[in-house]
Amino acid sequence: MVRLITHNLLACHAKGCNSNNFPLPFSNVQIEIREAEFNPEFLKAFLPKIEWKALVDTAKQLGDMSLPLEQPEMMDDDFLKSFHHVLLEIHVEEGVMTCPNCKHEYPISNGIPNMLLAEHEIG
Amino acid sequence: MSYGKYLIVFAQAHHEFRIPELHSVASLYGFDISLPKGEIETDRPYMVVGLADEKHARQLAKRCILIKAIYEFYAQGSTYEELHTRNRANQALWTRYKLDTSFKFFVTAFNHKIPQDRQRQVVESFSYMDFLGKIDMKKPDITLGCFEEYIEKRGLIRDRHDGDGQFQQAYFGRLIEEGSARVLVKMFDVKKRQYFGNTSMESEVSLLMANQTLASPGKLIYDPFLGTGSMAYPVAYFGAQVFGSDIDGRQMRGKGSTPGVFRAAAQYGVSARILDLLTFDVTHNPWRCGGLFDAIVTDPPYGVRAGAKRLGRKKELDPERQALYWEHRNNPRPDDQPYIPPTKPYELSNLAVDLVQLARYLLKPGGRLVFFLPTVTEEYEEIDVQSMLCEGMEVIANSLQDFGSWGRRLVTILKTTTDSYSPPTFDLNTLEDASSSQHVPAHRDFREKYFQGFKPPAI
Ligand SMILES: C[S@@+](CC[C@H](N)C(=O)[O-])C[C@H]1O[C@@H](n2cnc3c(N)ncnc32)[C@H](O)[C@@H]1O
Ligand SMILES: [Zn+2]
Repeated sequence: MVRLITHNLLACHAKGCNSNNFPLPFSNVQIEIREAEFNPEFLKAFLPKIEWKALVDTAKQLGDMSLPLEQPEMMDDDFLKSFHHVLLEIHVEEGVMTCPNCKHEYPISNGIPNMLLAEHEIG
Repeated sequence: MSYGKYLIVFAQAHHEFRIPELHSVASLYGFDISLPKGEIETDRPYMVVGLADEKHARQLAKRCILIKAIYEFYAQGSTYEELHTRNRANQALWTRYKLDTSFKFFVTAFNHKIPQDRQRQVVESFSYMDFLGKIDMKKPDITLGCFEEYIEKRGLIRDRHDGDGQFQQAYFGRLIEEGSARVLVKMFDVKKRQYFGNTSMESEVSLLMANQTLASPGKLIYDPFLGTGSMAYPVAYFGAQVFGSDIDGRQMRGKGSTPGVFRAAAQYGVSARILDLLTFDVTHNPWRCGGLFDAIVTDPPYGVRAGAKRLGRKKELDPERQALYWEHRNNPRPDDQPYIPPTKPYELSNLAVDLVQLARYLLKPGGRLVFFLPTVTEEYEEIDVQSMLCEGMEVIANSLQDFGSWGRRLVTILKTTTDSYSPPTFDLNTLEDASSSQHVPAHRDFREKYFQGFKPPAI
Protein backbone atom coordinates (compact mmCIF):
# COMPACT_ATOMS: atom_id res chain seq x y z
CA MET A 1 0.00 0.00 0.00
CA VAL A 2 2.78 2.50 0.40
CA ARG A 3 1.23 5.42 -1.43
CA LEU A 4 3.31 8.32 -2.64
CA ILE A 5 1.71 10.66 -0.12
CA THR A 6 3.19 8.45 2.60
CA HIS A 7 6.48 8.00 0.82
CA ASN A 8 6.79 11.78 0.58
CA LEU A 9 6.55 12.05 4.36
CA LEU A 10 9.10 9.40 5.30
CA ALA A 11 12.78 10.09 5.89
CA CYS A 12 15.46 7.73 7.11
CA HIS A 13 15.66 8.10 10.87
CA ALA A 14 18.65 5.94 11.70
CA LYS A 15 20.92 7.46 14.33
CA GLY A 16 23.07 10.20 12.87
CA CYS A 17 21.48 9.98 9.45
CA ASN A 18 20.38 13.59 9.10
CA SER A 19 21.17 14.65 5.58
CA ASN A 20 20.58 13.17 2.15
CA ASN A 21 18.13 10.85 3.95
CA PHE A 22 15.08 11.69 1.83
CA PRO A 23 13.38 10.55 -0.37
CA LEU A 24 13.97 6.84 0.00
CA PRO A 25 14.18 5.39 -3.52
CA PHE A 26 12.15 2.27 -4.21
CA SER A 27 13.50 -0.92 -5.71
CA ASN A 28 12.04 -4.32 -6.62
CA VAL A 29 8.56 -2.89 -6.50
CA GLN A 30 5.23 -4.50 -7.12
CA ILE A 31 2.61 -1.85 -7.84
CA GLU A 32 -1.15 -1.71 -7.78
CA ILE A 33 -3.42 1.11 -8.87
CA ARG A 34 -6.55 1.62 -6.76
CA GLU A 35 -9.11 4.33 -7.04
CA ALA A 36 -9.36 6.87 -4.23
CA GLU A 37 -11.89 9.61 -3.47
CA PHE A 38 -11.13 12.86 -5.26
CA ASN A 39 -11.13 15.74 -2.79
CA PRO A 40 -9.72 18.96 -4.35
CA GLU A 41 -9.84 20.87 -1.04
CA PHE A 42 -7.74 18.24 0.66
CA LEU A 43 -5.23 18.25 -2.20
CA LYS A 44 -4.87 22.01 -2.23
CA ALA A 45 -4.44 22.15 1.53
CA PHE A 46 -1.90 19.35 1.52
CA LEU A 47 0.24 20.64 -1.34
CA PRO A 48 2.43 22.91 0.83
CA LYS A 49 3.53 19.86 2.84
CA ILE A 50 4.77 18.04 -0.26
CA GLU A 51 8.41 18.03 -1.35
CA TRP A 52 7.63 18.56 -4.99
CA LYS A 53 10.81 17.35 -6.63
CA ALA A 54 10.81 14.18 -4.55
CA LEU A 55 7.25 13.45 -5.62
CA VAL A 56 7.93 14.04 -9.31
CA ASP A 57 11.10 11.95 -9.28
CA THR A 58 9.47 9.08 -7.42
CA ALA A 59 6.45 9.06 -9.73
CA LYS A 60 8.80 9.02 -12.70
CA GLN A 61 10.73 6.15 -11.16
CA LEU A 62 7.45 4.23 -10.97
CA GLY A 63 6.58 5.08 -14.55
CA ASP A 64 4.19 7.99 -14.10
CA MET A 65 5.20 11.15 -15.98
CA SER A 66 2.00 13.15 -15.55
CA LEU A 67 3.31 15.75 -13.09
CA PRO A 68 4.96 19.03 -14.18
CA LEU A 69 8.59 19.47 -13.11
CA GLU A 70 7.78 22.74 -11.41
CA GLN A 71 4.92 23.02 -8.99
CA PRO A 72 2.33 25.11 -10.91
CA GLU A 73 1.07 28.46 -9.64
CA MET A 74 -2.45 27.76 -10.82
CA MET A 75 -4.08 24.54 -9.80
CA ASP A 76 -6.50 23.70 -12.58
CA ASP A 77 -8.60 20.57 -12.72
CA ASP A 78 -6.22 18.66 -14.94
CA PHE A 79 -3.36 19.28 -12.60
CA LEU A 80 -5.40 18.30 -9.54
CA LYS A 81 -6.46 15.05 -11.23
CA SER A 82 -2.85 14.04 -11.94
CA PHE A 83 -1.73 15.14 -8.50
CA HIS A 84 -4.55 13.10 -6.95
CA HIS A 85 -3.64 10.04 -8.97
CA VAL A 86 0.06 10.17 -8.13
CA LEU A 87 -0.42 11.02 -4.48
CA LEU A 88 -3.20 8.58 -3.58
CA GLU A 89 -3.81 5.94 -6.22
CA ILE A 90 -0.40 4.34 -6.81
CA HIS A 91 0.28 1.68 -4.17
CA VAL A 92 3.60 -0.03 -3.69
CA GLU A 93 2.65 -3.45 -2.36
CA GLU A 94 6.06 -5.09 -2.21
CA GLY A 95 9.57 -3.75 -2.50
CA VAL A 96 12.28 -1.97 -0.62
CA MET A 97 13.04 1.65 0.20
CA THR A 98 16.73 2.38 0.63
CA CYS A 99 18.28 5.36 2.36
CA PRO A 100 20.55 7.18 -0.12
CA ASN A 101 22.84 8.17 2.73
CA CYS A 102 23.29 5.25 5.16
CA LYS A 103 21.87 2.56 2.86
CA HIS A 104 19.45 1.25 5.46
CA GLU A 105 16.85 -0.89 3.71
CA TYR A 106 13.21 -0.55 4.69
CA PRO A 107 11.32 -3.55 3.32
CA ILE A 108 7.65 -3.42 2.33
CA SER A 109 5.52 -6.52 2.59
CA ASN A 110 1.79 -6.78 1.88
CA GLY A 111 1.78 -3.03 1.61
CA ILE A 112 3.20 -2.34 5.08
CA PRO A 113 6.69 -0.84 5.29
CA ASN A 114 8.87 -1.91 8.15
CA MET A 115 10.47 1.29 9.44
CA LEU A 116 11.88 -0.30 12.60
CA LEU A 117 15.51 0.34 13.28
CA ALA A 118 18.03 -2.16 14.47
CA GLU A 119 19.77 -1.68 17.74
CA HIS A 120 22.88 0.00 16.44
CA GLU A 121 20.75 2.53 14.59
CA ILE A 122 19.02 4.09 17.58
CA GLY A 123 20.44 6.74 19.84
CA MET B 1 -28.04 36.00 19.09
CA SER B 2 -31.36 34.55 20.20
CA TYR B 3 -31.41 30.96 21.26
CA GLY B 4 -34.28 28.53 21.08
CA LYS B 5 -34.49 25.95 23.82
CA TYR B 6 -34.12 22.25 23.09
CA LEU B 7 -34.58 19.20 25.28
CA ILE B 8 -31.95 16.51 24.83
CA VAL B 9 -32.83 12.95 25.81
CA PHE B 10 -29.58 11.08 26.41
CA ALA B 11 -28.83 7.39 26.07
CA GLN B 12 -28.03 5.77 29.39
CA ALA B 13 -24.30 5.35 28.92
CA HIS B 14 -20.98 7.13 29.48
CA HIS B 15 -22.59 10.15 31.07
CA GLU B 16 -19.26 11.94 31.65
CA PHE B 17 -18.73 11.93 27.88
CA ARG B 18 -21.99 13.69 27.03
CA ILE B 19 -20.96 17.31 27.32
CA PRO B 20 -17.59 16.91 25.58
CA GLU B 21 -19.42 15.21 22.72
CA LEU B 22 -21.97 18.04 22.46
CA HIS B 23 -19.17 20.61 22.36
CA SER B 24 -17.20 18.65 19.78
CA VAL B 25 -20.09 18.17 17.39
CA ALA B 26 -21.08 21.82 17.78
CA SER B 27 -17.53 22.83 17.00
CA LEU B 28 -17.38 20.46 14.02
CA TYR B 29 -20.40 22.17 12.46
CA GLY B 30 -19.36 25.61 13.69
CA PHE B 31 -22.26 26.57 15.93
CA ASP B 32 -22.65 27.60 19.56
CA ILE B 33 -24.47 25.60 22.16
CA SER B 34 -25.52 27.18 25.42
CA LEU B 35 -25.55 24.79 28.34
CA PRO B 36 -27.43 25.14 31.64
CA LYS B 37 -25.78 27.61 34.03
CA GLY B 38 -23.96 26.40 37.10
CA GLU B 39 -22.81 22.91 37.92
CA ILE B 40 -24.36 20.36 35.57
CA GLU B 41 -25.39 17.00 36.95
CA THR B 42 -24.12 15.01 34.00
CA ASP B 43 -25.82 11.80 35.05
CA ARG B 44 -29.33 13.15 34.56
CA PRO B 45 -30.91 11.89 31.35
CA TYR B 46 -32.56 15.14 30.26
CA MET B 47 -30.89 18.44 29.55
CA VAL B 48 -32.25 21.71 28.19
CA VAL B 49 -29.81 23.56 25.94
CA GLY B 50 -29.92 26.70 23.81
CA LEU B 51 -29.33 26.61 20.04
CA ALA B 52 -29.65 29.38 17.46
CA ASP B 53 -31.24 27.15 14.83
CA GLU B 54 -33.31 23.99 14.67
CA LYS B 55 -30.83 22.76 12.06
CA HIS B 56 -28.20 22.53 14.81
CA ALA B 57 -30.44 20.27 16.84
CA ARG B 58 -30.71 17.96 13.85
CA GLN B 59 -26.94 17.96 13.36
CA LEU B 60 -26.43 17.00 17.00
CA ALA B 61 -28.99 14.20 16.76
CA LYS B 62 -27.36 12.79 13.65
CA ARG B 63 -23.82 12.81 14.94
CA CYS B 64 -23.82 12.42 18.75
CA ILE B 65 -23.51 8.80 19.82
CA LEU B 66 -25.02 9.58 23.22
CA ILE B 67 -28.19 11.35 22.04
CA LYS B 68 -31.43 9.38 21.88
CA ALA B 69 -33.58 12.26 20.65
CA ILE B 70 -33.90 16.04 20.62
CA TYR B 71 -37.14 17.93 21.26
CA GLU B 72 -38.07 21.54 20.96
CA PHE B 73 -38.47 22.43 24.62
CA TYR B 74 -41.88 23.70 25.73
CA ALA B 75 -41.89 23.43 29.52
CA GLN B 76 -40.74 21.64 32.63
CA GLY B 77 -41.82 21.48 36.25
CA SER B 78 -41.57 19.55 39.47
CA THR B 79 -45.36 19.18 39.35
CA TYR B 80 -47.75 19.09 36.42
CA GLU B 81 -49.34 22.29 37.68
CA GLU B 82 -46.05 24.06 37.31
CA LEU B 83 -45.36 22.46 33.93
CA HIS B 84 -48.78 23.44 32.55
CA THR B 85 -48.47 27.03 33.71
CA ARG B 86 -45.17 27.35 31.90
CA ASN B 87 -46.42 25.51 28.85
CA ARG B 88 -49.31 27.95 28.59
CA ALA B 89 -46.89 30.85 28.86
CA ASN B 90 -44.92 29.37 25.97
CA GLN B 91 -47.88 28.87 23.69
CA ALA B 92 -46.30 31.02 20.99
CA LEU B 93 -44.17 27.93 20.32
CA TRP B 94 -47.09 25.60 19.64
CA THR B 95 -50.28 27.47 18.70
CA ARG B 96 -49.39 27.10 15.02
CA TYR B 97 -50.02 23.35 15.30
CA LYS B 98 -53.54 23.74 16.68
CA LEU B 99 -55.62 23.70 13.54
CA ASP B 100 -54.84 20.81 11.26
CA THR B 101 -51.57 19.19 12.24
CA SER B 102 -51.75 15.44 12.85
CA PHE B 103 -49.96 14.46 16.01
CA LYS B 104 -48.85 11.74 18.34
CA PHE B 105 -48.61 12.25 22.07
CA PHE B 106 -46.75 10.03 24.49
CA VAL B 107 -45.80 10.02 28.15
CA THR B 108 -42.84 8.09 29.45
CA ALA B 109 -40.58 7.96 32.46
CA PHE B 110 -36.94 7.48 33.31
CA ASN B 111 -36.31 4.91 36.07
CA HIS B 112 -39.97 4.18 36.43
CA LYS B 113 -43.02 2.68 34.75
CA ILE B 114 -46.16 4.83 34.71
CA PRO B 115 -49.41 2.83 34.99
CA GLN B 116 -51.68 3.00 31.92
CA ASP B 117 -54.50 4.90 33.56
CA ARG B 118 -52.23 7.64 34.83
CA GLN B 119 -50.61 7.92 31.43
CA ARG B 120 -54.06 8.62 30.07
CA GLN B 121 -54.69 11.21 32.80
CA VAL B 122 -51.47 12.99 31.92
CA VAL B 123 -52.35 13.11 28.23
CA GLU B 124 -55.78 14.49 29.08
CA SER B 125 -54.30 17.15 31.31
CA PHE B 126 -52.86 18.75 28.16
CA SER B 127 -56.31 19.16 26.55
CA TYR B 128 -56.18 22.94 27.03
CA MET B 129 -53.72 23.01 24.13
CA ASP B 130 -56.75 22.39 21.92
CA PHE B 131 -55.07 20.47 19.17
CA LEU B 132 -57.73 19.88 16.51
CA GLY B 133 -55.70 17.80 14.06
CA LYS B 134 -56.14 14.05 14.04
CA ILE B 135 -54.19 11.70 16.23
CA ASP B 136 -51.87 9.56 14.15
CA MET B 137 -49.66 7.05 15.92
CA LYS B 138 -47.84 5.91 12.76
CA LYS B 139 -47.01 8.94 10.60
CA PRO B 140 -47.86 12.04 12.58
CA ASP B 141 -46.85 15.51 11.40
CA ILE B 142 -45.52 16.17 14.88
CA THR B 143 -44.75 14.13 17.99
CA LEU B 144 -45.20 15.56 21.46
CA GLY B 145 -43.36 13.89 24.29
CA CYS B 146 -43.73 14.19 28.04
CA PHE B 147 -40.96 12.78 30.23
CA GLU B 148 -40.98 12.13 33.97
CA GLU B 149 -37.62 11.79 35.64
CA TYR B 150 -37.37 9.66 38.78
CA ILE B 151 -34.34 9.55 41.01
CA GLU B 152 -32.49 6.32 40.67
CA LYS B 153 -32.80 4.27 43.82
CA ARG B 154 -29.59 2.38 43.63
CA GLY B 155 -29.75 -1.09 45.07
CA LEU B 156 -33.39 -0.70 46.07
CA ILE B 157 -35.75 -3.10 44.43
CA ARG B 158 -39.06 -1.39 44.23
CA ASP B 159 -42.34 -2.34 42.74
CA ARG B 160 -42.84 -1.25 39.14
CA HIS B 161 -45.32 1.45 39.96
CA ASP B 162 -44.05 2.28 43.43
CA GLY B 163 -43.77 6.02 44.03
CA ASP B 164 -45.72 6.77 40.87
CA GLY B 165 -46.07 10.50 40.31
CA GLN B 166 -43.23 11.37 42.68
CA PHE B 167 -40.91 12.45 39.94
CA GLN B 168 -38.07 14.87 40.37
CA GLN B 169 -38.92 16.82 37.23
CA ALA B 170 -41.17 16.46 34.19
CA TYR B 171 -40.32 17.80 30.72
CA PHE B 172 -42.45 18.44 27.67
CA GLY B 173 -41.66 19.23 24.05
CA ARG B 174 -41.98 18.53 20.34
CA LEU B 175 -39.75 15.96 18.64
CA ILE B 176 -37.21 17.48 16.28
CA GLU B 177 -35.06 14.46 15.48
CA GLU B 178 -34.46 10.97 16.79
CA GLY B 179 -30.78 10.29 17.38
CA SER B 180 -29.49 8.31 14.42
CA ALA B 181 -25.84 7.84 15.36
CA ARG B 182 -26.48 5.21 18.02
CA VAL B 183 -27.01 2.52 15.40
CA LEU B 184 -23.31 2.87 14.63
CA VAL B 185 -22.55 1.25 17.97
CA LYS B 186 -24.02 -1.99 16.60
CA MET B 187 -22.57 -1.52 13.16
CA PHE B 188 -19.02 -1.27 14.53
CA ASP B 189 -19.50 -4.09 17.03
CA VAL B 190 -16.07 -5.64 17.57
CA LYS B 191 -17.40 -9.20 17.63
CA LYS B 192 -18.83 -8.82 14.15
CA ARG B 193 -15.61 -7.35 12.79
CA GLN B 194 -13.48 -9.19 10.22
CA TYR B 195 -10.38 -8.53 12.28
CA PHE B 196 -9.96 -7.75 15.95
CA GLY B 197 -7.77 -8.70 18.89
CA ASN B 198 -7.63 -8.55 22.66
CA THR B 199 -6.61 -4.89 22.53
CA SER B 200 -9.58 -3.82 20.40
CA MET B 201 -11.57 -0.93 21.80
CA GLU B 202 -15.33 -1.37 22.22
CA SER B 203 -17.26 0.27 19.44
CA GLU B 204 -19.20 2.84 21.46
CA VAL B 205 -16.05 4.26 23.01
CA SER B 206 -14.23 4.26 19.65
CA LEU B 207 -17.09 6.26 18.21
CA LEU B 208 -16.98 8.73 21.09
CA MET B 209 -13.24 9.12 20.50
CA ALA B 210 -13.89 9.66 16.79
CA ASN B 211 -16.30 12.46 17.63
CA GLN B 212 -13.69 14.10 19.86
CA THR B 213 -11.37 14.27 16.83
CA LEU B 214 -13.96 16.18 14.74
CA ALA B 215 -13.42 13.64 11.97
CA SER B 216 -14.89 14.73 8.64
CA PRO B 217 -14.02 14.63 4.92
CA GLY B 218 -10.68 16.18 4.02
CA LYS B 219 -9.14 15.67 7.47
CA LEU B 220 -6.02 13.66 8.12
CA ILE B 221 -5.94 11.62 11.33
CA TYR B 222 -3.20 9.48 12.86
CA ASP B 223 -3.09 6.65 15.40
CA PRO B 224 0.52 5.95 16.49
CA PHE B 225 -0.48 2.87 18.55
CA LEU B 226 -2.83 1.46 15.96
CA GLY B 227 -3.01 -2.19 17.08
CA THR B 228 -6.08 -3.70 15.44
CA GLY B 229 -7.28 -0.25 14.36
CA SER B 230 -10.48 0.19 16.39
CA MET B 231 -10.56 3.99 16.14
CA ALA B 232 -9.46 4.11 12.52
CA TYR B 233 -12.77 2.67 11.30
CA PRO B 234 -15.21 5.19 12.79
CA VAL B 235 -12.86 8.06 12.00
CA ALA B 236 -12.71 6.94 8.36
CA TYR B 237 -16.46 6.32 8.36
CA PHE B 238 -16.95 10.00 9.24
CA GLY B 239 -14.92 10.86 6.14
CA ALA B 240 -11.36 11.40 7.39
CA GLN B 241 -8.26 9.77 5.94
CA VAL B 242 -6.13 7.79 8.34
CA PHE B 243 -2.52 6.85 8.96
CA GLY B 244 -1.72 4.16 11.50
CA SER B 245 1.49 2.79 12.92
CA ASP B 246 2.51 0.27 15.55
CA ILE B 247 5.77 -1.13 16.84
CA ASP B 248 4.40 -4.61 16.28
CA GLY B 249 3.39 -5.25 12.67
CA ARG B 250 1.59 -8.43 13.66
CA GLN B 251 -1.03 -6.38 15.52
CA MET B 252 -2.03 -4.65 12.28
CA ARG B 253 -1.59 -7.65 9.98
CA GLY B 254 -3.10 -10.59 11.78
CA LYS B 255 -3.07 -13.73 9.67
CA GLY B 256 -3.53 -13.87 5.93
CA SER B 257 -1.93 -11.85 3.19
CA THR B 258 -4.28 -8.87 3.26
CA PRO B 259 -3.53 -7.12 6.55
CA GLY B 260 -6.36 -7.46 9.07
CA VAL B 261 -6.86 -3.72 9.42
CA PHE B 262 -7.54 -3.43 5.68
CA ARG B 263 -9.92 -6.36 5.82
CA ALA B 264 -11.95 -4.76 8.60
CA ALA B 265 -11.87 -1.38 6.84
CA ALA B 266 -13.22 -3.02 3.69
CA GLN B 267 -16.10 -4.47 5.67
CA TYR B 268 -17.13 -0.90 6.57
CA GLY B 269 -16.51 0.39 3.04
CA VAL B 270 -13.68 2.68 4.14
CA SER B 271 -10.49 0.92 3.04
CA ALA B 272 -9.64 3.67 0.54
CA ARG B 273 -9.49 6.11 3.46
CA ILE B 274 -6.87 4.10 5.33
CA LEU B 275 -3.96 5.85 3.68
CA ASP B 276 -1.21 3.62 5.01
CA LEU B 277 -0.12 1.42 7.89
CA LEU B 278 3.50 1.49 9.00
CA THR B 279 5.60 -0.50 11.43
CA PHE B 280 7.77 1.59 13.73
CA ASP B 281 8.44 2.56 17.30
CA VAL B 282 6.85 5.96 17.75
CA THR B 283 9.84 7.07 19.83
CA HIS B 284 12.03 6.45 16.74
CA ASN B 285 9.71 7.61 14.02
CA PRO B 286 10.40 8.45 10.37
CA TRP B 287 8.01 11.41 9.91
CA ARG B 288 9.90 13.92 7.78
CA CYS B 289 8.09 17.00 9.10
CA GLY B 290 5.47 18.18 11.57
CA GLY B 291 2.20 20.07 11.23
CA LEU B 292 0.63 17.21 9.29
CA PHE B 293 -2.46 15.97 11.11
CA ASP B 294 -5.83 17.37 12.07
CA ALA B 295 -6.03 14.90 14.93
CA ILE B 296 -4.17 12.13 16.69
CA VAL B 297 -6.43 9.54 18.25
CA THR B 298 -4.97 6.69 20.22
CA ASP B 299 -5.16 4.24 23.07
CA PRO B 300 -1.60 4.15 24.36
CA PRO B 301 -0.26 0.88 25.70
CA TYR B 302 -0.62 0.84 29.43
CA GLY B 303 0.81 -2.50 30.12
CA VAL B 304 -2.22 -4.47 31.18
CA ARG B 305 -3.12 -6.07 27.88
CA ALA B 306 -0.48 -4.67 25.54
CA GLY B 307 2.60 -3.41 27.29
CA ALA B 308 4.38 -0.26 26.27
CA LYS B 309 7.73 -0.99 24.77
CA ARG B 310 10.40 0.87 22.97
CA LEU B 311 13.42 -0.12 21.05
CA GLY B 312 16.56 -0.57 23.05
CA ARG B 313 17.76 -2.61 25.97
CA LYS B 314 19.25 -2.08 29.36
CA LYS B 315 21.70 -4.96 29.58
CA GLU B 316 24.34 -6.38 27.32
CA LEU B 317 23.24 -8.81 24.64
CA ASP B 318 23.14 -12.49 25.38
CA PRO B 319 24.90 -14.63 22.75
CA GLU B 320 21.68 -15.61 21.02
CA ARG B 321 20.52 -12.02 20.69
CA GLN B 322 23.99 -11.05 19.62
CA ALA B 323 23.75 -13.49 16.73
CA LEU B 324 20.34 -12.13 15.76
CA TYR B 325 21.68 -8.63 15.96
CA TRP B 326 24.43 -9.32 13.46
CA GLU B 327 22.03 -11.25 11.32
CA HIS B 328 19.67 -8.28 11.20
CA ARG B 329 22.45 -5.83 10.66
CA ASN B 330 23.61 -7.71 7.63
CA ASN B 331 20.25 -8.44 6.13
CA PRO B 332 17.16 -6.72 7.43
CA ARG B 333 13.88 -8.57 7.15
CA PRO B 334 10.24 -7.64 6.90
CA ASP B 335 8.59 -7.48 10.29
CA ASP B 336 6.56 -10.63 9.86
CA GLN B 337 9.74 -12.68 9.94
CA PRO B 338 11.54 -13.91 13.02
CA TYR B 339 13.80 -11.01 13.87
CA ILE B 340 12.19 -8.68 16.35
CA PRO B 341 14.44 -6.00 17.73
CA PRO B 342 14.92 -5.95 21.47
CA THR B 343 12.62 -3.66 23.37
CA LYS B 344 12.58 -2.22 26.86
CA PRO B 345 9.63 -1.22 29.03
CA TYR B 346 8.23 2.26 28.62
CA GLU B 347 6.77 3.83 31.74
CA LEU B 348 3.28 5.23 31.27
CA SER B 349 3.79 8.68 32.78
CA ASN B 350 6.81 9.19 30.51
CA LEU B 351 4.86 7.97 27.56
CA ALA B 352 2.03 10.43 28.24
CA VAL B 353 4.41 13.40 28.40
CA ASP B 354 6.13 12.25 25.21
CA LEU B 355 2.82 11.77 23.46
CA VAL B 356 1.69 15.33 24.15
CA GLN B 357 4.99 16.71 22.82
CA LEU B 358 4.83 14.49 19.78
CA ALA B 359 1.28 15.68 19.13
CA ARG B 360 2.36 19.31 19.39
CA TYR B 361 4.93 18.60 16.70
CA LEU B 362 2.78 16.50 14.37
CA LEU B 363 -0.56 18.34 14.66
CA LYS B 364 -1.64 21.34 12.66
CA PRO B 365 -2.53 24.41 14.74
CA GLY B 366 -6.04 23.82 16.08
CA GLY B 367 -5.53 20.06 15.85
CA ARG B 368 -6.56 17.70 18.62
CA LEU B 369 -4.94 14.89 20.55
CA VAL B 370 -7.55 12.42 21.82
CA PHE B 371 -6.34 9.57 24.00
CA PHE B 372 -6.99 7.40 27.01
CA LEU B 373 -5.09 7.68 30.23
CA PRO B 374 -5.63 4.88 32.74
CA THR B 375 -5.71 6.02 36.30
CA VAL B 376 -6.09 4.87 39.85
CA THR B 377 -9.45 6.27 40.92
CA GLU B 378 -8.55 6.93 44.57
CA GLU B 379 -5.29 8.68 43.78
CA TYR B 380 -6.27 10.71 40.74
CA GLU B 381 -5.81 14.48 40.95
CA GLU B 382 -6.53 17.11 38.34
CA ILE B 383 -2.84 17.93 38.24
CA ASP B 384 -2.03 14.46 36.87
CA VAL B 385 -3.35 15.56 33.52
CA GLN B 386 -2.09 19.14 33.86
CA SER B 387 1.44 17.93 34.63
CA MET B 388 1.83 16.22 31.28
CA LEU B 389 1.06 19.34 29.25
CA CYS B 390 3.57 21.54 27.50
CA GLU B 391 3.40 25.08 26.15
CA GLY B 392 0.81 25.46 23.41
CA MET B 393 -1.24 22.40 24.39
CA GLU B 394 -4.46 22.75 26.42
CA VAL B 395 -6.85 20.21 27.87
CA ILE B 396 -10.36 20.84 26.55
CA ALA B 397 -12.10 17.69 27.78
CA ASN B 398 -11.40 15.02 30.37
CA SER B 399 -14.03 12.34 31.02
CA LEU B 400 -13.77 9.39 33.35
CA GLN B 401 -14.90 5.91 32.44
CA ASP B 402 -15.17 4.39 35.88
CA PHE B 403 -14.35 0.73 36.52
CA GLY B 404 -14.28 1.00 40.33
CA SER B 405 -10.80 0.98 41.81
CA TRP B 406 -9.36 2.07 38.48
CA GLY B 407 -10.68 3.88 35.50
CA ARG B 408 -9.55 5.57 32.37
CA ARG B 409 -9.85 9.15 31.31
CA LEU B 410 -10.56 10.17 27.77
CA VAL B 411 -8.48 13.32 27.45
CA THR B 412 -8.80 15.78 24.58
CA ILE B 413 -5.97 18.24 24.15
CA LEU B 414 -6.07 21.15 21.73
CA LYS B 415 -3.00 22.54 20.00
CA THR B 416 -3.55 26.23 20.63
CA THR B 417 -0.21 27.42 19.34
CA THR B 418 0.63 28.32 15.76
CA ASP B 419 4.35 28.24 16.47
CA SER B 420 6.45 25.38 15.17
CA TYR B 421 8.21 23.24 17.71
CA SER B 422 10.94 20.74 17.06
CA PRO B 423 10.18 17.06 17.42
CA PRO B 424 10.52 15.62 20.92
CA THR B 425 13.73 13.79 21.66
CA PHE B 426 12.05 11.19 23.87
CA ASP B 427 15.00 11.00 26.20
CA LEU B 428 14.64 13.70 28.84
CA ASN B 429 11.63 11.98 30.30
CA THR B 430 12.83 8.48 30.05
CA LEU B 431 15.60 8.91 32.59
CA GLU B 432 15.12 6.03 34.94
CA ASP B 433 14.01 8.01 37.98
CA ALA B 434 12.38 11.37 37.64
CA SER B 435 13.65 13.68 40.36
CA SER B 436 11.58 13.54 43.51
CA SER B 437 10.66 17.22 43.40
CA GLN B 438 8.44 16.55 40.41
CA HIS B 439 4.78 15.72 40.78
CA VAL B 440 4.13 11.98 40.70
CA PRO B 441 0.84 11.33 38.90
CA ALA B 442 -1.50 8.52 39.89
CA HIS B 443 -0.95 6.80 36.58
CA ARG B 444 2.79 6.39 37.27
CA ASP B 445 3.60 2.67 37.33
CA PHE B 446 0.01 1.90 36.46
CA ARG B 447 0.81 -1.64 35.37
CA GLU B 448 2.37 -2.55 38.72
CA LYS B 449 -0.51 -0.97 40.58
CA TYR B 450 -3.01 -2.84 38.45
CA PHE B 451 -1.46 -6.19 39.26
CA GLN B 452 -1.28 -5.32 42.94
CA GLY B 453 -5.00 -4.66 42.93
CA PHE B 454 -4.34 -0.96 43.65
CA LYS B 455 -3.38 -1.63 47.24
CA PRO B 456 -0.45 0.26 48.67
CA PRO B 457 2.61 -1.99 48.44
CA ALA B 458 3.48 -3.81 51.66
CA ILE B 459 6.36 -2.15 53.49
C1 LIG C 1 -3.61 -0.61 23.83
S1 LIG C 1 -2.93 -1.16 22.31
C2 LIG C 1 -3.86 -0.26 21.11
C3 LIG C 1 -5.02 -1.04 20.67
C4 LIG C 1 -5.75 -0.48 19.51
N1 LIG C 1 -6.46 0.74 19.84
C5 LIG C 1 -6.67 -1.54 18.94
O1 LIG C 1 -7.76 -1.20 18.53
O2 LIG C 1 -6.31 -2.71 18.91
C6 LIG C 1 -1.35 -0.46 22.26
C7 LIG C 1 -0.52 -0.76 21.03
O3 LIG C 1 0.68 -0.03 21.13
C8 LIG C 1 1.73 -0.76 20.55
N2 LIG C 1 3.00 -0.20 21.06
C9 LIG C 1 3.59 -0.40 22.26
N3 LIG C 1 4.71 0.34 22.37
C10 LIG C 1 4.84 1.04 21.20
C11 LIG C 1 5.80 1.97 20.68
N4 LIG C 1 6.87 2.35 21.41
N5 LIG C 1 5.61 2.48 19.44
C12 LIG C 1 4.54 2.10 18.70
N6 LIG C 1 3.61 1.21 19.14
C13 LIG C 1 3.76 0.69 20.36
C14 LIG C 1 1.43 -2.19 20.90
O4 LIG C 1 2.01 -3.08 19.97
C15 LIG C 1 -0.11 -2.21 20.87
O5 LIG C 1 -0.59 -2.68 19.63
ZN1 LIG D 1 19.79 6.67 6.53
